[in-house]
Amino acid sequence: MSTNPIVTGKLVCVALNDQQQLDKLDATFNEAPYKAAPTQPVLYFKPHNTWNTDGATIAWNEEGLVVGASLTVVFGKECCRTSAEEALSYVEGYTLTHDFSLPEKSYYRPDIKGKCQDGTAPVGAVVVPASDVADPQALTVVTQVNGETVGELPVSQLHRGVAELISIISNIMTLQPGDAIAVGFPGDRHPVKQGDKVTSSIAGVTELTNQVEA
Amino acid sequence: MKHARVLHNDVELDVTVNDQGDLVTAEGTVISESEVTWLSPIKKPGTIFALGLNYADHAAELAFEPPKEPLVFLKGANTLTGHKQNSYRPDNIEFQHYECELVAVIGKEGKNISREDAMDYIAGYTVCNDFAIRDYLENYYRPNLRVKSRDSLCPIGPWLIDKEDVGDISDLRLTTHVNGELTQEGTTKDIIFDVPFLVEYLSKIMTLKPGDMIATGTPKGLKDMQPGDTVVCEIEKVGALTTYIVSEQEFYGDKY
Repeated sequence: MSTNPIVTGKLVCVALNDQQQLDKLDATFNEAPYKAAPTQPVLYFKPHNTWNTDGATIAWNEEGLVVGASLTVVFGKECCRTSAEEALSYVEGYTLTHDFSLPEKSYYRPDIKGKCQDGTAPVGAVVVPASDVADPQALTVVTQVNGETVGELPVSQLHRGVAELISIISNIMTLQPGDAIAVGFPGDRHPVKQGDKVTSSIAGVTELTNQVEA
Repeated sequence: MKHARVLHNDVELDVTVNDQGDLVTAEGTVISESEVTWLSPIKKPGTIFALGLNYADHAAELAFEPPKEPLVFLKGANTLTGHKQNSYRPDNIEFQHYECELVAVIGKEGKNISREDAMDYIAGYTVCNDFAIRDYLENYYRPNLRVKSRDSLCPIGPWLIDKEDVGDISDLRLTTHVNGELTQEGTTKDIIFDVPFLVEYLSKIMTLKPGDMIATGTPKGLKDMQPGDTVVCEIEKVGALTTYIVSEQEFYGDKY
């Protein structure tokens, strides 16, 4: 387990934010146990034992592992109750998060076992200054496993965009320097096998590579 | 020994609390409680685990079957608030309730800790008030972060007391008083998943580290809170934690 110089506070992840996934699950949302579609962003923490870095090896889990990648917003100053209009002015820079989890069967209860395994949240490789990214909504996150593209998520495909999420989340919890938000993962998390090499990239921004323990 | 953190003349101090209730600095200077602002007693807060439905009577109160596996959720460090500080009730809600909870604080790093060894990894205990805004419940990662992880939603303290000073935690009385009236009463003997079980359970999933906290759930006795209310959560042998409820506007001031 290694520490990560980028995230030192809290790492907030947004689930169920891929519009294609939401459309697909629409009927399910009205059934038990959900009974109604979410009206608010569906959030979870990746706690400090999960933080990891570019190049890190991810421990294998006998229950299997799936991966998703997300554009990640890093804060350089306190952000409390901001509006969507002003939200991006609090962003220090952009990077990537790999969320390695156990296969997810339900969104009903917090998934501590699935989401909080040691070292399963690499963040990096670098933080690109916000001033170098004209419009985060125009970015696309591409994930390759062993060189083959397995996921492609344009940020514009997210149900809630970067600025709206920062505004909503900063109205729940004050964000501090060293906090980060992973704004959305592809709905279909990709299963990985032992020894797989996972590389995600945002063209012109950064690239993050991790290998699953052989 | 009771370990606290306070703000005194704008300086953060690590102090101990003596039998008279006075604060003693590392240099031996005695400070009266009236001169300080209490901070969260955990200097470097790690992961804050909290248990839902972990008292049989509370589960029944909420019309849930007692869980077969612990219902664990996480709270952010932004929720931590010291003794005698403010917590806010959001505008336009119907039901915010307190939850008086025994918190076990991890003192030693460990993974795959057995139930038998679990207590070796506990530094001590404190009290928290794991507030919840029931209006915000949705059936996704329930209880969701908006319900449980808002700023100020985890008053904690007043101090961390060494485990040796508490001894057996299997039958400690918990009470909550709102404006002096007893509103919640229970005992840790009604806990479904106890501290050794939780240390074993969580450390099978992940490495536990010093500063991680396990808030062990609350007995029955929920009551709505309003600005102006004073809530005192008390656990026998551990401490009594006071919180003042204020409005959202009063809490955030200029940032409102």
